[in-house]
Amino acid sequence: MAKGFEGTVEQVDGNRWRIPRASWPAMRVDGLIYSSEALISEVLSGGAPAQVANVATLPGIVGASLAMPDIHWGYGFCIGGVAATDVDSGGVVSPGGVGYDINCGVRLLRTDLDAADVRRRIEPLISQLFDDMPVGVGVGGPFTFDRKEMRRLLGEGVGYLVSRGLADAADREATESGGCLNGADPRAVSDQACRRGASQCGSLGAGNHFIEVQEVADVYDAAVAEAFGLAAGAVTVMIHSGSRGLGHQVCGDYLKVLRSAPGEYGFDLPDRQLVCAPVESPPGRQYLSAMRAAANFAWCNRQLLANQVRASLSRFFGLSAESLGLRQVYDVAHNIAKIERHEVSGRPRRLCVHRKGATRAFAPGHRELPDRYRKTGQPVLIPGDMGTASYVLVGTETAMRETFGSACHGAGRVLSRKAAIRSAQGRRIDKELASRGIVARARGRTGLAEEQPDAYKDIEAVVACVAAAGLARKVARMRPLGVIKG
Amino acid sequence: MAKHCETFDHTADVGLRAEADSLAELLEALAEGLADVLCDRSRVAPARSRTVAVRAEDVEALAVDLLSEVLLAFEMDRFLVGRVTVTSATATAAEAELAGEPHDPARHELRTEVKAVTYHQLQIAPRGRGWIGRVILDL
Repeated sequence: MAKGFEGTVEQVDGNRWRIPRASWPAMRVDGLIYSSEALISEVLSGGAPAQVANVATLPGIVGASLAMPDIHWGYGFCIGGVAATDVDSGGVVSPGGVGYDINCGVRLLRTDLDAADVRRRIEPLISQLFDDMPVGVGVGGPFTFDRKEMRRLLGEGVGYLVSRGLADAADREATESGGCLNGADPRAVSDQACRRGASQCGSLGAGNHFIEVQEVADVYDAAVAEAFGLAAGAVTVMIHSGSRGLGHQVCGDYLKVLRSAPGEYGFDLPDRQLVCAPVESPPGRQYLSAMRAAANFAWCNRQLLANQVRASLSRFFGLSAESLGLRQVYDVAHNIAKIERHEVSGRPRRLCVHRKGATRAFAPGHRELPDRYRKTGQPVLIPGDMGTASYVLVGTETAMRETFGSACHGAGRVLSRKAAIRSAQGRRIDKELASRGIVARARGRTGLAEEQPDAYKDIEAVVACVAAAGLARKVARMRPLGVIKG
Repeated sequence: MAKHCETFDHTADVGLRAEADSLAELLEALAEGLADVLCDRSRVAPARSRTVAVRAEDVEALAVDLLSEVLLAFEMDRFLVGRVTVTSATATAAEAELAGEPHDPARHELRTEVKAVTYHQLQIAPRGRGWIGRVILDL
């Protein structure tokens, strides 16, 4: 259904393509797509560049409407989209710029386990994880929180879990924003949203969510890798999940609330999915209060998933998590809107930064980074497809100047789910992965087909573009050993 | 009277495209199409039914709200919908009966997790003597 982009696209350099503001009167700023010669033709043949242009029409947008190299067609915003609006000049917040899976994100755990040893036992290890972890469509977790507990969890995030002995200070420190966005208001979250999420905190879900056991295959920056606790030949575990039904409902609730906002505020929007309201307006503030609560829920979800992974690995190896050296490297959000300070045209501004399928990538010295990463810069976790590789990068000053401190969030899809299932017909994706030495288990029949490596862009090309553009520096590359999916 | 719904490709998600003789039937076709994305409808017995009523400012928002009821029935109450009967529909209000049964993992294999019914490229419009509709689901 997507037509190729018919607007003007100018190549700026080997890694940047511009959609000039002058090409469509409704655009308030340029569109800027980070891509490479290897990736751009597929990008321009789809619907995503038009979405970059649409986002450039949002009231109060500053800099440019940005897209990372993993750009693909989404709804409203493209996936891989970054847009910042000036809060003090009527800038808007758009729930579509965050998406339904609020604070979908990635957590990386490191271990002292030797990959060569684990590879020999990967099949039973993945079976153990698959049996232990709550995965799949509509599957809830082992935790339930009553109304009062849920209010605290939504308001305090991982801090609440620390008070319950379900997280420790080191986990919290190694989580973006300390696992809690200030200004979360549980009262802004509907009963329906709470009911959708009540039994789901600590469950993986389905779709592209996964838990992957990996081997650190390459280290590019030994000093930074050491600071992140990563060593070649060691095992890591990556967890990808979000805010489950609670976040989906919060987004849906506020899209409904904001349906009338464009008329009210005199906005003319090219796509209903881009509905928005000024950050400093009652509906804008209310959405942000609810979104922050959903983000806190997502951090708690990944914390409780990590706890279950720790317990499962401890059982399997007969060693405590401490003896396994099982510690959190970092946890990043990749669907979120945050109020941040950035320089725009040489002046510090208070911005609402939307990251829709994009990762924060703060440079060394940023005051929001925890002490342990203040000198190195922020770990940027980039999951690839389940047959190739994932990366850890580190934030740079270039990202601070050009992308409001943002980089890509993954490989980015190229095949639709239906097309992926068609291409998998007559094939056994699990066997194909096994021939590459990767053990994959999924609950649903189509899960592996939908998420097969061919469904994604080449992660090597995406990360090469991010690195060449200077948005983040490569630290380590992890190769999958085994993966479980919903 | 005829109605028809099929899915179409969208990079990360899936779309529903339907046509029908009337608005009520179009909404039925789309709502049943969504139910089919969640679970094979032919395996869901219409053992119980629940009535839902939605109101919205226009017919497209109305469709999102009605389809969201099918999703919520499962997400909140584990109630799978097998058949949808829209008993009344105007451009701004609709009532429907959702017939189905509680999810039984032994009989109902769930197909896909649907996060939401989106507004992206949403279209509900009269065409010729009937109606056409297009809705994209976030998976």
